[in-house]
Amino acid sequence: MENSARFARLGLFGSAVAAVFALGAVAPTWLRAPADAAAPRPQPLPAPPPGGVMGFVVDSFVQPVIQGKDACPQGTALKLRDAYLATLPAEERAQLERKENEAQLTQRWHAYAFGPNNTNVCSQPDMFERPVMRTVQSKKAWGLDLDEGKTDDTCAHESFATPTGEQGIDNQEYRAMGCTLEWRGVDGIAGDNQSGMKQFMASGEWTQVILLRGVDSLQNDDEVEVIYANTPDRPLADSKGQFLRGTTFTISDKAPRNRNVLRGRIKNGVLTTDPADIVLTQTWGQGGARDIRGNRTKWHYAKGRLRLAFQPDGSLRGVMGGYRPIFDVIVSPAIGGAGSAVVAGIDCAQNLATLRHYADGLKNPKTGKCEGVSAAQAITAIPAFVNDVPAPRTAAR
Amino acid sequence: MMMNPIKRMAWSVATLPLVLMGCAASEAPKTAAVQDAAPALARTLPGQQIVAMRRLTEAQYRNVIADVFGPDVVVAGRIEPIVRPVHEMIASGAAEASISPAGLDQFDAMGRNIAAQVFGEQRRAQFVPCAPKDEKVADAACAAKVLTPLGRYLFRRPMSPAEQAFFVKLAGDGAGPTGSFHKGLELALAAMLTSPRFLYIVETAEPDPAKPGELRLDAWSRAARLSFLLWNTTPNETLLKAAEAGKLTDQAQLSILAETMVASPRFEQGVRAFFADMLLFEKFDELSKDPVIYPYFNQDVVQALPEQMLRTITDHLVARRGDYRDLFTTQRTFMTRSLGGLYQVPVGRSAGWVPYEFAPGDDRAGLLGQAGFLALYSHSGRSSPTLRGRAVRELLMCEPVPNPPGNVNFTAVQETGNKAKPTARIRLLAHATDPSCSGCHKITDPIGLSLERFDGLGMARKTENAALIDASGEMDGKLFQGAIGLGKTMAESSSTTQCLSMRALSYATGRSGEDVSNYVEGLERKFAAGGYGIRALFSQIATMPEAYQVVTKPLAAPTHVSMLTQ
Repeated sequence: MENSARFARLGLFGSAVAAVFALGAVAPTWLRAPADAAAPRPQPLPAPPPGGVMGFVVDSFVQPVIQGKDACPQGTALKLRDAYLATLPAEERAQLERKENEAQLTQRWHAYAFGPNNTNVCSQPDMFERPVMRTVQSKKAWGLDLDEGKTDDTCAHESFATPTGEQGIDNQEYRAMGCTLEWRGVDGIAGDNQSGMKQFMASGEWTQVILLRGVDSLQNDDEVEVIYANTPDRPLADSKGQFLRGTTFTISDKAPRNRNVLRGRIKNGVLTTDPADIVLTQTWGQGGARDIRGNRTKWHYAKGRLRLAFQPDGSLRGVMGGYRPIFDVIVSPAIGGAGSAVVAGIDCAQNLATLRHYADGLKNPKTGKCEGVSAAQAITAIPAFVNDVPAPRTAAR
Repeated sequence: MMMNPIKRMAWSVATLPLVLMGCAASEAPKTAAVQDAAPALARTLPGQQIVAMRRLTEAQYRNVIADVFGPDVVVAGRIEPIVRPVHEMIASGAAEASISPAGLDQFDAMGRNIAAQVFGEQRRAQFVPCAPKDEKVADAACAAKVLTPLGRYLFRRPMSPAEQAFFVKLAGDGAGPTGSFHKGLELALAAMLTSPRFLYIVETAEPDPAKPGELRLDAWSRAARLSFLLWNTTPNETLLKAAEAGKLTDQAQLSILAETMVASPRFEQGVRAFFADMLLFEKFDELSKDPVIYPYFNQDVVQALPEQMLRTITDHLVARRGDYRDLFTTQRTFMTRSLGGLYQVPVGRSAGWVPYEFAPGDDRAGLLGQAGFLALYSHSGRSSPTLRGRAVRELLMCEPVPNPPGNVNFTAVQETGNKAKPTARIRLLAHATDPSCSGCHKITDPIGLSLERFDGLGMARKTENAALIDASGEMDGKLFQGAIGLGKTMAESSSTTQCLSMRALSYATGRSGEDVSNYVEGLERKFAAGGYGIRALFSQIATMPEAYQVVTKPLAAPTHVSMLTQ
């Protein structure tokens, strides 16, 4: 009983996220970020500080959605109610869609969310057979060329090109999920998910910092150490919710904070890191009476890499790319369980089926099947002071 | 609705002493019987003359409760503030402060709450050294054992027999209707906490053997003076015993005690209270800034600003035993994470206060380069060289600056977006050409303009409206640059140390600056001899015989004339 009540609350969270995505109407600042990183151009950049140490706090970490009707020409992916209706013969569908039959329709599409033994499409998505949903049809996406044309440990997939013309972009996560209402929002109001995701950043539950060491030049530098980590410190913000520059964050060595040490270089004002596993904290919930904090999972990017362009105002803009385990992509509605399905109308089983269909990475050597999708996050980060705490020793000698 | 009899009784007890306060130094009302009301002050202190009454500040009230009953006793509520006389210390205002009916309500509520905690089941064993014969009825002997030592701490002298009898009877009267000995004690303690003997530091005098015909503070008043001056709290057992033994009227013994007290860690509490009074920290309670103009302004910052100044002061003067003059050039301070953003400096730890030292040559030097001072003496949306200069003159150099005339046109200085007059210096120049303004602006603005590289919240800036800021300043003919230049000039001025001497003496005695001005020169010499250390200054004030002399002033002429006589 307690679990089901909690799941219902989590479901409400799912719908709240959807509402945030749908209603948000902020300037799409992230749109410039991947572009700047993808197509570096000469910019007047300041000299790095003496000592070459630079800190940043990530103020935006969001899936880069390209708005426009060509991405999803048939509209957004069907919600559970409409997905259920789509399974019915036309005559029966028309009958159920009459206003006087609303209660019956509601009962039936709710039932469509459940399976035997009280299973449901979000808590146990792999127990349901669902068709692939509507996916992104355009050829444009932001992201990185993760496989660099190699096919030995990937599965067949079609690449995107960025709006700035960069070819070979791997972002199957966007292809699979980019037509869902949660990702796309209402077409024409860009940046919806940015505002929703920013709330998670502002809560301090998954604050991310970037610490650069050994920076000799912001234009070109062959070797830079990059520490990309979580901190328990909540970002300080102004009265409009914008994170304040020049505040201090301390990387904690206490679990579940993560500290990724990456090797990188700067070329033409763009910092790029070598592929490595990048793991960051992912905590769901925005607090309040329906607090579901504590449901922590991971942002796990296998072969992950950063490509960030230094900006004249001192900030960083760019992309993180890598391969994500399929289930990670739908972990938020999965935590929401039945509530995500019947309140937010999310068909997690359909999401999972689509992700599996388009999986292109994390190939299982035994089965030969891919268990991950290429993915990208648009990142902006502003100057901050970062106190580094090295990760604790894992083996004592 | 009928009033609870206990509540009614407590009300009469709580209010009557304060009603009687106005005639405290004269004859007590003949109707004031022990059975019905608290004994009036004059009657309970036979042979002694009340020469001053200074109301406890909120900080003092809280410190006393924590010291007498323990820091875990919660003091819930706020206390009616004491009005600061113009250009004076709150300590001077305390000597003239009354308590309004609403203020008495607050004290009454707080007193009841404290009494309930003290005699609640959890704590009563600490304060009740005897077992009542029956917990459901009064026990005068046991009540006396409880209330007598508490009264000595709260009233800062032993209770008179009449007072003791009154409060013991009150405890008995409370025990009856409630059927609880401890509830009776609660009532008596709540009444003590609303007594003027507690809420006011009552100073009494005795004939001065060294100056026939004149008065000096008696031993109990000296104990309170020492304790509130140096520790900002009530006298402890050592001081009370010293008063009882007559040590506080013996100059040698007094010096030994004062030296011990300024060497104690508790001296920091006294220094904090003094500077909070001297620097008008009550203004932080109403500090507000436009959050659009100043995005780093928030409640964490507001709370941290005065604390940063006090930590800088006590670290320099008390912990490091520094020279007061160097307080205006020191580069040491403390940061919190919120302040780190405002100052744009790294903070070594996410929580709490962290020591921080600005780089040599950084313009953040000294107390005047701290955001607390800079923000407090600015407007809500712009900096103010005039307010900053005036604060330096009045607070730190004791040189009062007249208020502006009522018909001044401030348009020129308020147009901060005027591109034709991009900096405050240019705007003030236009404003101060008016002859009615220039006289005062000449003594304030050249000081404040040196701090213009800090905006209205105290954040560093190099430009205003894209124009480079000129931070040159001038004070009494000396030219300098920036906050560090101002700090050095302040440190070299004798007005700076003389002002502190005067403020400290005024703070100790509750007298106005004018009333203590005769002693400042001598005190300043001893301050200098002590290396301008705060311990030397306070120790000197705590032991100087003049501070304990009773100064009588002729009554002022009546200020109100009845219309009926005209």
